[in-house]
Amino acid sequence: MTGHFFQYVSFISHGLELTLLLTVCSLFLGLTGGIAFVMLRYQKWSGLAVDGIVSVLRGTPMILQLNFFYFAIPGLLGLPIDILTAGICTLGLNSSAYVAEILRGGIESLPKGQFEAAKTLRIPRWLMWRDIILPQVFRNELPTLVNECITLLKETSLISVLGGMDLMYRSQTLATQKFDYFGPLCVAGLYYYALVLLVTYAGKWAEKRWCYAVHR
Amino acid sequence: MLSIVKLSKILSGRTVLKDISLEMEGGSVVGLAGPSGSGKSTLLRCIQGLEFIDSGTITCQGSTGFLFQDFQLFPHMSVLDNIRYAPVHVLHEKEAEASAYKLLQQLNLENISDVLPNQLSGGQKQRVALARTLAMHPDMLLCDEPTSGLDIVSTQDVIQLLQSIKKMGVALLIASHDLAFLTTIADRIIILKNSQLVADLTPLDWESDVGSLERYY
Repeated sequence: MTGHFFQYVSFISHGLELTLLLTVCSLFLGLTGGIAFVMLRYQKWSGLAVDGIVSVLRGTPMILQLNFFYFAIPGLLGLPIDILTAGICTLGLNSSAYVAEILRGGIESLPKGQFEAAKTLRIPRWLMWRDIILPQVFRNELPTLVNECITLLKETSLISVLGGMDLMYRSQTLATQKFDYFGPLCVAGLYYYALVLLVTYAGKWAEKRWCYAVHR
Repeated sequence: MLSIVKLSKILSGRTVLKDISLEMEGGSVVGLAGPSGSGKSTLLRCIQGLEFIDSGTITCQGSTGFLFQDFQLFPHMSVLDNIRYAPVHVLHEKEAEASAYKLLQQLNLENISDVLPNQLSGGQKQRVALARTLAMHPDMLLCDEPTSGLDIVSTQDVIQLLQSIKKMGVALLIASHDLAFLTTIADRIIILKNSQLVADLTPLDWESDVGSLERYY
């Protein structure tokens, strides 16, 4: 039993690299995209368009979006897209819609006077966003953003549907090879849970480091 | 310095300022008094450009600074950063750092330069807000209820600070419902009532006729 367990751990652990790579790249795209979306949302000329994009990204299943990026777009453009790129684009864009909404909530909850104070001090708009508004929003919304990061980490398992050899795919492969679902799925579950705990503790550390002084 | 002609402002279908005309000279201190909801803050916000106006004109020579009733300090920045941020990034002053330290000294804030705003008392926050505004070298300072929520000591502190700003030649337009405070500092007091300018009084008026101000409330 123990021998099997270590065999499973060894085989499934090779999927860790893809899971982590997908998480980190999608998180980066999600955060930068979310910031871009939310800033464009507050522009007169682009607000409606951004609202539309965010609505579609939030309103359709992620598995559909994944298939769309991997099969539909390459078919349409005649450009093949590899699994990792399709995964990063799907997870990153989908996450950016949620991050944009989280940041919007944070912006709406800031006193209007913060924008007005920046205006009376003649601070240019982009500096106001960079140095005055977004730092406050990120501090206030850090727990929710960490939550989004955890969701993203778990959603990377969808890449297994396309054949991406992540933790989930490797555990399923092992399960069908060994006719044993319990062991491989438990090992994959433990990997995901450990990663989620790691993100949770990193989030709590960041909260203490950046938010405590401002909010106490 | 400031010229307002027939200014009107409508908010949600309600006229909050009606045909306001006002002239103000450089270096003078004008108090803006009136009951709550008479439009004092709205008038200041219109002058600063924080509100659109529906009719009339506002002409202001020189730059204005705005002191918010609730300070609106940037909570994630230290006292020093609150003061030096705009001079460094907007005016690109080489000596912004030195000027900020000078202001800190003038306003007795040098001991709390590294402190975040949420650790300050109301009076200290008011001084930081004042320093932040003064760091932008305004020709005119618009103060919205600068003594609101402050204790007697802090109020005295604010009076002294505003008097020293007056000596620096900065014009002051102070909205407050605290008549005692306004009479100690203003060269003129303007009364707003029911969205209209109903009186323009000088020290001679309120000193010769005690109660001349209260009559408008």
